Amino acid sequence: MRIAVLLSAGRHAVSGRPAPVPVELQAVGLAADFVERHGADLTGLHAGPDVGPLRDALGHGLPNLVHLVTGADDDPLPSLAAALREGAFDLILAGRVAQGGEDSGLLPYALARALGLPIVSDAAALAPGETPGTLNVEQALPRGARRRLLVRLPVLVTVHPAAPAARPFAFAGARRGILETRPGLAAPRASTGLEERPYRPRPKLIAKAAAGASAAERLKAATEAASGGGRLLVDPPPEEAAREILAYLAGIGVVAKR
Amino acid sequence: MSRPRKDPRAERAAQRVAGATRPRFDLARTPETATSGRPRRDPRAEERLALVPGTLRRRLDRTRRAGEAAIPAPQPLATPAPDAPALRRIPEPAFLVALVPDAPGGRLTPHDRQLFGAARLLADAGGGAVVALVDPAADDLAAAGADRVLTLPVSGYDPEGKALALDAALAALGLRHLLFPESAEGGDLARRVAALSGEALFAGAESLTAKAVTRAAHGRRTEQRGAPPTLISLAPDAVAPHAGTLHEALPVAFAFPATTGGAILAAEFVAADPARVSLAEADFVTSAGNGVSDFETFRALIAALGATPGASRMVCDAGLMPRAAQVGASGTVLDARCYFALGIAGAPQHLQGVAKCEHVVAVNTDLHAAMIERAGLAIVADAQEVMPALLRLIAEEASA
Ligand SMILES: Cc1cc2nc3c(=O)[nH]c(=O)nc-3n(C[C@H](O)[C@H](O)[C@H](O)COP(=O)(O)OP(=O)(O)OC[C@H]3O[C@@H](n4cnc5c(N)ncnc54)[C@H](O)[C@@H]3O)c2cc1C
Ligand SMILES: Nc1ncnc2c1ncn2[C@@H]1O[C@H](COP(=O)(O)O)[C@@H](O)[C@H]1O
Repeated sequence: MRIAVLLSAGRHAVSGRPAPVPVELQAVGLAADFVERHGADLTGLHAGPDVGPLRDALGHGLPNLVHLVTGADDDPLPSLAAALREGAFDLILAGRVAQGGEDSGLLPYALARALGLPIVSDAAALAPGETPGTLNVEQALPRGARRRLLVRLPVLVTVHPAAPAARPFAFAGARRGILETRPGLAAPRASTGLEERPYRPRPKLIAKAAAGASAAERLKAATEAASGGGRLLVDPPPEEAAREILAYLAGIGVVAKR
Repeated sequence: MSRPRKDPRAERAAQRVAGATRPRFDLARTPETATSGRPRRDPRAEERLALVPGTLRRRLDRTRRAGEAAIPAPQPLATPAPDAPALRRIPEPAFLVALVPDAPGGRLTPHDRQLFGAARLLADAGGGAVVALVDPAADDLAAAGADRVLTLPVSGYDPEGKALALDAALAALGLRHLLFPESAEGGDLARRVAALSGEALFAGAESLTAKAVTRAAHGRRTEQRGAPPTLISLAPDAVAPHAGTLHEALPVAFAFPATTGGAILAAEFVAADPARVSLAEADFVTSAGNGVSDFETFRALIAALGATPGASRMVCDAGLMPRAAQVGASGTVLDARCYFALGIAGAPQHLQGVAKCEHVVAVNTDLHAAMIERAGLAIVADAQEVMPALLRLIAEEASA
């Protein structure tokens, strides 16, 4: 089985310096664990003008990294698609969204379309399926829930931040790792036609308090009961209190009704 | 609220008996025009007005906005009932704005309602209509702001099939905009449709008007801005939900192309284990405060209720619960549906952590605790007696 991990040139969330994207290092960790348990070939792929700090991924468990050299303004899609097609990979892992580029999370989907592969989003764990040629993917859902999927290989999988933490950096691994440089395909990116300017954080909507409400009203909206004036029981016998509480909890559906 | 202010000097002068050599005053005489003309404040009447009715504790609202609304103004009798929102029909829309709510289990999430708000914004700017593309028929789409409802032909977890259906609808119905929530499921679907249709997706819009949308890019360092394109996914809490008018939610028919099975061979939903999910993600949190001394029973209760454990800062400081369990401003801000507080006073720092919870249940010995006021069900009782009673009741129900 052959596994590829797509690594993008990220920027650190706070300092803004070039850095690997955390979720892509988690994808490297998932792939490295899979290789150790079940045996496979693992390669990292990056398309861009420069590897820069992506070399660190070799220290986080990636045995080799292929750098497809493209221009700074080139679209990475054709280079990546060509390299992935040539490599005949069974499993391609990508991050959920990049951090430092367009940050739209569209590249894995466009790549899956170009390669004709199915795509599964938000993986938190991977295991081989019972029959050969299948893969078990544990998909992370909101509120800590999971979905277990059985998919046919080859497949492209994006990794969710709920996956196990990335492996710590090991200097020996980084020295042992092989970085290979190949020319990519020139593909000037089409203009998006969007105007760009420095980011300005926008205020989030605050529930309930109307726009233009005073600070006192906003605090009230933030700390007061949504429905206002609930039920009050003063000094009930414990049994009655317990019955009331359980009935209320069952009524809103957080504990099972019996 | 205010009455004329007394002017004692003018009053005195009015009582002066004229003509005497020494100043003489006739105090029995009442002055006629002895007011200064400046009004005098009446703090008692002001306080009566500021009193918030219907609360257990005496509460004053000094801004008096709520107070003035609470005092019923004399109204003409023939005012129409204000609660029935007007129905708005759009029989011949100029264009269509479609949206795909997540609606897990057929119930719209707050994010879905905001999506409806955004769709109405785009549609109302030019006489368009809003089409909701739903897979199980969701509730109250009319109140949420849908003019038309189109049911998607999907069963089970099949995002590729759903994306193919949406792509067909996008082309055939000539939709001007197709909106998705930027959530786990909606975001995935939006990108699939973008890849299928070749349209550019405006991912994670953070502000939206009929003229411009913006999003963050380059690690939240630049803001991209442009006219609203066809495919938009909307970040949470960016647009206010639609309110005011009721819409028709007319079912419409569309012949979707038949889809073949995708690469997903099996899908199984695994519910979250409440003991292991992080506090920020939990759905139901049960918390202990300083009023809880019996932690054995508290832990047993958590296991029996299937809740995620939380605690107030007092309890975490004392080392009785891990720091990760702290709820509040300096702990975790919850996103839970229900919060069950045992022996927690409800300090503002704690209440901030519970602000987003829809339902709160509180047990406290103090009738005047802020937590009792915040709660939808408040019980003034000893937590050490209520907890074992709850455990007994749960065991009884399980055996019955
Ligand atoms: C900068 C700052 C940040 C803070 N951040 C947080 C935060 O993030 N989270 C947080 O929780 N706190 C925070 N605090 C602390 C907060 O102000 C309160 O001190 C704390 O929340 C009080 O915890 P408590 O309600 O458990 O304890 P107490 O205030 O001691 O209240 C105990 C309550 O239990 C009731 N009680 C007593 N015996 C019983 C019984 N047998 N049965 C039932 N009820 C009983 C009492 O009537 C009382 O209401 C912060 C404070 C500061 C200054
Ligand atoms: N230039 C690139 N080279 C390799 N992988 C990339 C590149 N750009 C994006 N990716 C992958 O695609 C994912 C989503 O990227 P994006 O669509 O830019 O948000 C990233 O997490 C990477 O795994």
